Amino acid sequence: MIYLDNAATTRPNEHALERANAFLHDTFYNPSALYRGGVSAHAELEAARSELLGYIGDPSRFSLLFTSGGTEGDNQALFFARRGNVVTTAGEHAAVYESATELKNRGVEPRFAPVERDGRVNEEALLSLVDSSTALVSVVHVNNETGAVNDISSLARAVKRKNPRTLFHSDGVQAFGKLPFRLPPDVDLYTVSAHKIGGLKGTGALIKRKELALRPLLFGGGQEGGLRSGTENMFGIEVFRYAAEETFASLEKNSVHLRGLRERLFSRLEGTLTRISPEDGSPYILTVSAEGMRGEVLQRMLWDRGVVAGTGSACSSKHRFSRVLTACGYPERVLDGVLRLSFSPETGEEEIDRAAEAILAAVQEYKERV
Amino acid sequence: MESVVIVRYAEIHLKGKNRGYFERLFSVNLERALRGIRHELHRTSGRYLVEKFDEARADEIERKISRVFGVYSCSRGWLVPNDLGSIYEAAKRIAPSFGTFKVETHRADKKYPLTSMEVSAEIGGRLLSENRQLRVDVHEPENRVYIDVRENGTALVFGSFYEGAGGMPVGSSGTGLLMISGGIDSPVAGYMMAKRGLHVELLHFHSYPYTNEGAKEKVVTLSKILSEYSLTARLRTVSVTHIQEEIHKKCAEELNVTLLRRFMFRIAEKIATEIGAKCLVTGESLGQVASQTLEGLTSSGDVVRLPVLRPLIGFDKEEIIARAKKIGTFETSVLPFEDCCTVFLPEHPAIKPSLSFIEEEESKLDVESLVEEALGTVEVIPL
Repeated sequence: MIYLDNAATTRPNEHALERANAFLHDTFYNPSALYRGGVSAHAELEAARSELLGYIGDPSRFSLLFTSGGTEGDNQALFFARRGNVVTTAGEHAAVYESATELKNRGVEPRFAPVERDGRVNEEALLSLVDSSTALVSVVHVNNETGAVNDISSLARAVKRKNPRTLFHSDGVQAFGKLPFRLPPDVDLYTVSAHKIGGLKGTGALIKRKELALRPLLFGGGQEGGLRSGTENMFGIEVFRYAAEETFASLEKNSVHLRGLRERLFSRLEGTLTRISPEDGSPYILTVSAEGMRGEVLQRMLWDRGVVAGTGSACSSKHRFSRVLTACGYPERVLDGVLRLSFSPETGEEEIDRAAEAILAAVQEYKERV
Repeated sequence: MESVVIVRYAEIHLKGKNRGYFERLFSVNLERALRGIRHELHRTSGRYLVEKFDEARADEIERKISRVFGVYSCSRGWLVPNDLGSIYEAAKRIAPSFGTFKVETHRADKKYPLTSMEVSAEIGGRLLSENRQLRVDVHEPENRVYIDVRENGTALVFGSFYEGAGGMPVGSSGTGLLMISGGIDSPVAGYMMAKRGLHVELLHFHSYPYTNEGAKEKVVTLSKILSEYSLTARLRTVSVTHIQEEIHKKCAEELNVTLLRRFMFRIAEKIATEIGAKCLVTGESLGQVASQTLEGLTSSGDVVRLPVLRPLIGFDKEEIIARAKKIGTFETSVLPFEDCCTVFLPEHPAIKPSLSFIEEEESKLDVESLVEEALGTVEVIPL
């Protein structure tokens, strides 16, 4: 199988699994325990924390708490808003979008800024929604459906200029380990997840500005400085740590490699498929549309041809179109045929060529059959 | 003292000379329902007793038994020697810890030294003297303790009746083939025919890659739930992908569904004949969707000779949903996997297609070879 759905999840990194293995066997101790085994587990936990944070944030300015993944981090950030309004975008992942919608039931007004054709937020429109009662602004770093990159640093700066008390959050799940990025001082909260870079599902982190008095979603034993109770997922955290170590060591190299592959793939598909992903977007995502066809059907035809692809549409009559791509303003015939092809640093040229062949063949098959 | 489940049966004893046949079928069905669970099943006068089972599985046994068609009611109780001391020990377990109660005794053993009234009075009296929080109310008791003194030196003591599924033993009315989709209606239709004694075989049509594997999984789950009642052992699936593609390419769009249904009926009839099913069963309800108008029903029924049973024909959607909830299929039926891709859904399906128009459009297709091809895709999934 040629796996091109890495934006959904990646294959767990074998080296990281091996290195973390000890935490399943010899040193399985609870990091809160006060005997030597527990204390050393705790030390490992803190080392993982500081390493992971160190890749993108200044540890004197930011701290990192481990979570169960992107959704939890986004929820904890969004629900920190208690009054006024929250400004976010029409291009958010459901974890932010649905949390913002839920805020309405809790007395906070959600405001959604429109997105451009490629999925990037319209900066002017976003800023016009920010006012003196805006508690929080949340903008996805890399749009998970198109790969478009929002300029988080400049957006955060502009928001703070308009209202210095407004908090700025970004969902960085598709950006962490993939884009060269350091957290600027204007960002207050940043969500990351392990399983998009070779870690395990069920592991993630929320990075926050140190002095920010965040509120917990989960109460209990007071782990993670009281902000996230629950015995730490040591194995998952260690895999995250080692997977990130590899990813960040070759971040630049991966970017160049994948940008080349992405363009190589698109050049094969050009003329048959419509490009949705912008060229200056994440090198990890190429979203295209087989206009007038059904992405979900193509996806299954591709599976049968040995290629695993993502999609942005469904055969179902209820949720037929992607909310995000609809917001980008595409017509129905484009929305119907969406395929999201997403890569990992392991994806090779030969795989890309074979995938391109399979995609073209599937499109041809579809045309003949329907 | 032994834990038992008492099973009482319903319509069977009305069936005169066929009674022996019905009873045999009924006990076979009880055994099938309890397959995989250690137990012994004994028939006594007018009822069955499930004995020698693991107490931890008693609830499961009761649930499975209550779903067997032909069961009128069942009760969890105790089988004890018929002396008053043993009966009293069991009655203590059944009696409530406070509130009102009444003891009712039935005596099959007419040589028993006490009359039914005397047994009730004696056991009721002992329960009262032991527990001051209890009171007797012979008219509207909150709880009842039933004692059944049997002829073989034993007695059954039980407290409540668990309503059974009613109906007739599955298989007593022959075999039918249910066309099951992932929707709400067809499992209910299958349930209703099984209740009337029909052995229900299952057939599902899919159109991979236009429908997904999730839709098929959903039908397997529904079939498993239905099979707790219908005791069906397998699900058959057939691909109608190529048929849908051909219809889509060659025929008038508004007839897409009508024509597909005619194919489904033809395929179903062939399979029914092969497996000895004597009727087709569908979940259709008059007027529910475009293909279920009188014209729609006629056009699909027209292509087969077997009778088509549509037990939901006069039901409102709400009534069907209420039944689906009771049977336990509703929650699965509403999972978001559709069994028809929007690729093939016409924007404006024909509501009252004329037979001549249908036949004219259908003549553009090689019906026979498409049916044959579809029959080559049959898969059998054990439940």
